[in-house]
Amino acid sequence: MKILVAAKRVIDPDARIKLLPDGSGVDVQSVEYKVNPFCENAIEEALALKEEHDAEVVIVSIGPDDVTPTIRSGLAMGADRGIRVESEDAALDSDLVARILAGVFKHEGDVDIVLLGKQAVDGDNNQVGQLLAQYLELPQACFASEVKVSGGSATVTREVDGGLETLELPLPAVITADLRLNEPRYASLPGIMKAKRKPIDELSLADLGITDTALKVEVVRLEEPPARHAGVMVESVDQLIDKLVNVAKVL
Amino acid sequence: MRFALDEEQVALQRAARRLLERWSPSAAARDAMETERGYDDALWQRLAADLGVSALLVPEALGGLGLGPTALAPVMEEMGRALACAPLLSTVALGTNALLLGASAEQQARWLPGLASGERTATVAFDPLGDARRSEVRAVRDGGSWRLDGVVTQVLDGHTASLVVVAAEVAAEDALALFLVPGDAPGLARTALPTMDRTRRLARLELHGVSVPPADRLDGPLPGAAALRAVLDRARVALASEQVGLAERCLDMSVEHARTRVQFGRPIGSFQAIKHRCADMLVDVESARAASWYAAWAAEHAPDELATAAAMAKAWCSEACFRAAAECIQIHGGIGFTWEHDAHLAFKRARASLALFGAPANHRETIAHELGL
Repeated sequence: MKILVAAKRVIDPDARIKLLPDGSGVDVQSVEYKVNPFCENAIEEALALKEEHDAEVVIVSIGPDDVTPTIRSGLAMGADRGIRVESEDAALDSDLVARILAGVFKHEGDVDIVLLGKQAVDGDNNQVGQLLAQYLELPQACFASEVKVSGGSATVTREVDGGLETLELPLPAVITADLRLNEPRYASLPGIMKAKRKPIDELSLADLGITDTALKVEVVRLEEPPARHAGVMVESVDQLIDKLVNVAKVL
Repeated sequence: MRFALDEEQVALQRAARRLLERWSPSAAARDAMETERGYDDALWQRLAADLGVSALLVPEALGGLGLGPTALAPVMEEMGRALACAPLLSTVALGTNALLLGASAEQQARWLPGLASGERTATVAFDPLGDARRSEVRAVRDGGSWRLDGVVTQVLDGHTASLVVVAAEVAAEDALALFLVPGDAPGLARTALPTMDRTRRLARLELHGVSVPPADRLDGPLPGAAALRAVLDRARVALASEQVGLAERCLDMSVEHARTRVQFGRPIGSFQAIKHRCADMLVDVESARAASWYAAWAAEHAPDELATAAAMAKAWCSEACFRAAAECIQIHGGIGFTWEHDAHLAFKRARASLALFGAPANHRETIAHELGL
């Protein structure tokens, strides 16, 4: 069994970010990157399946050379090898990422499961898994909270409004991970050492046969949320009701 | 010289931070403080078995990772940042280094795998002032064995270590030697001491005719006193790194508080009196990190420079960390004095670490001596 896991690096979600003065993007000078948390769930699930089914786990990431540590962190957790597809962050959107991943899927040839995070916590687009399934014409199960693989199929439980939905998918299939799917393991120090020696192949878009690099989404402008105004302290419930009725006009 | 962490060291640091953030929040440290042993064995097992920190310095052939002090430094920074309660400084910086620097290949093969796996913990019993030339323990020949008698008044994690490397004076040779003593050896009395810093424990060890077989006297290439001196220097480097991590934690707590605490209608961080304190703390942290990294580099690549570099790092990082912890309380104002806030935990750790393995004044004397002043 071969499992392809997509991993994206995102700006540390706990860090305070700054926008470029013209609002065209985030100032990435001196920012620290982390692996997208949902991608870590996807990696963990792939590793759990590897332990159960003796699978090969391949981590793929798209971007400049500084996405290599993202791949290495997956290798340190226990994945077998990595693939980096050369690109620039600004030259990507969800659609192109999905087409690139589809290209990697075909390039690898015998992938049984593609695991992704359900979304990246920077753009929060939640599109790549679905688009990838469409481009590959594969069954998909998004927001997985449990994955079981048996024979040539996967049984995926997904969290939906008001309950759980269980799907059975023939393999190969595309599965996107929700946070509650698992608790990602820590990379151990021996794992980090071993990761140095694991191969990371580098591919270009041309290697994957992708010539159409036009983006379908253009980021027009980013803005900071409006600053919060200080609250007003009231001295009694009567005053509070008065403010709600006459100032906030919510009652 | 490359004066920055490489990709692998950054990964080690991140892995340690992640584990400690998850499993060693300050609530865990407070729980450990209340226990007799002073640390949570589950956290130690996570650090040792899951993360592999206890194997960091041990050669690969003996089940370790074969890394050096430059890899230990970022991990120690995280231990300090988390105020983690675990016998890492004693087991790795003291015990493992004692075996690496003072033991024969056979002795290393016998003891290091157990330390690497985290199954055993270790410490070194030496003069509490950090003087590697003297010991209050005497070793004399007793038939075919050695007989150890004496007292070591302060031994890091001495009450829990499963292996104690005891520095003892061998009168017949007029020299110091290192002996391996199991923690449960007959004649070894261990008493946990009440420490100001409850996140780190010391014990008094009394040796009453402890019998040590000849094979357990360390007989590596370095003689006892030289080995002990090198072990203490490496331990000072590790402790200096821990102090950097703690100082940075104090800085981060202070800046966060200064950003969010509003007085006179504005965040207190907008007042120059607070800004200057935070700026001074940052200078302290950055210069301390430079000193500790240089000392770690010297420990790995330039042993001739280690004595000076370790003394510089320990003296500077001790005072920088102590200043940062003291300023942290001042910037927090009244809440910084409360039991519930972590500022006092940092302050007590900083104060105790300042004296551990020799005080700054001792280290400045060493530097003056090394420089021929």
